[in-house]
Amino acid sequence: MIDEKEFIKQLLTPETQNVAFQKLLSDYQRPLYSHIRNIVLNHDDADDVLQNTFVKVFQNLKNFKGESKLFSWMYRIATNEALTFLSQKAKLSGISSEDLQNKTIDGLKADLYFDGDEIQIKLQKAIVTLPEKQQLVFKMKYFEELKYEEIADILGTSVGALKASYHHAVKKIELYVTSN
Amino acid sequence: MKTFKLENEPKIKSGFKTPENYFDDFSEKVLQQLNEKEVKVIPFFKRKKTLWTAAAAVVGFALLIPVINNYRANSNDLDEATLENYLSYHSNISQYDLIQKLDDSDIEKLGNDVTLEDETLEDILATSPNIEHLISEQN
Repeated sequence: MIDEKEFIKQLLTPETQNVAFQKLLSDYQRPLYSHIRNIVLNHDDADDVLQNTFVKVFQNLKNFKGESKLFSWMYRIATNEALTFLSQKAKLSGISSEDLQNKTIDGLKADLYFDGDEIQIKLQKAIVTLPEKQQLVFKMKYFEELKYEEIADILGTSVGALKASYHHAVKKIELYVTSN
Repeated sequence: MKTFKLENEPKIKSGFKTPENYFDDFSEKVLQQLNEKEVKVIPFFKRKKTLWTAAAAVVGFALLIPVINNYRANSNDLDEATLENYLSYHSNISQYDLIQKLDDSDIEKLGNDVTLEDETLEDILATSPNIEHLISEQN
């Protein structure tokens, strides 16, 4: 694998840009899709947000200073795009973000691109009751199986704080599933 | 009720799927979107040119204002109301002088404007005491 600095240089050089961007897309489209889909829940929305994320990544590459890894920087853009998308959608529908997510989860049973059963729906409903940060941490750790160090780099928090967040999230989810 | 423990359960997957071949043409879609966005960008020099044109138009119009004002001030076309007011209040031309200035066509025109019935005319002539000198003057 080529050095990340070299790869960024290729992305910024007009002659090598197209090939490098194609590689960036093929390397990251699947993990970023899962990350976004876990936040917005619905395929069409995830598709829109993923496209916007790559457009933003491309447009802002020249401002990427290499202080964090390209991977973390892209995940951060995807997270922001997905959260902004959700709040805008909720605002347009005139409901809270939590109500919107609950509505989307109710619609999952009829969703062509969801093959989960009762327990999956219940887990999603339990996640919605958590504060936004805990939701993100739980999804990134449990579903996407990212390392604490990676999540810390993406969200800009310490590993210790993340472990505490995840622990709280798991406790609340277990309580919800047990009593519902 | 059985207590639910996440770690004791088999791993619960998110259950999210993507349409078949979704990722095959995804990069194509993104590249197309990027090209569209690039086309939409308005080059700076073009906007600058539009600004210059607008500024030149404003300056040109401003320069024309004194010319238009001057033209209007020199205009010989006085409207009727102004003329009538001037003659009535600001001139020392008597009614007699005015009548002297009228030619046959003007009098004819006046006749057309006055639509008096014969009977009304007769009444005026019969009741007007100073009519004789007018008749003699016409003759």
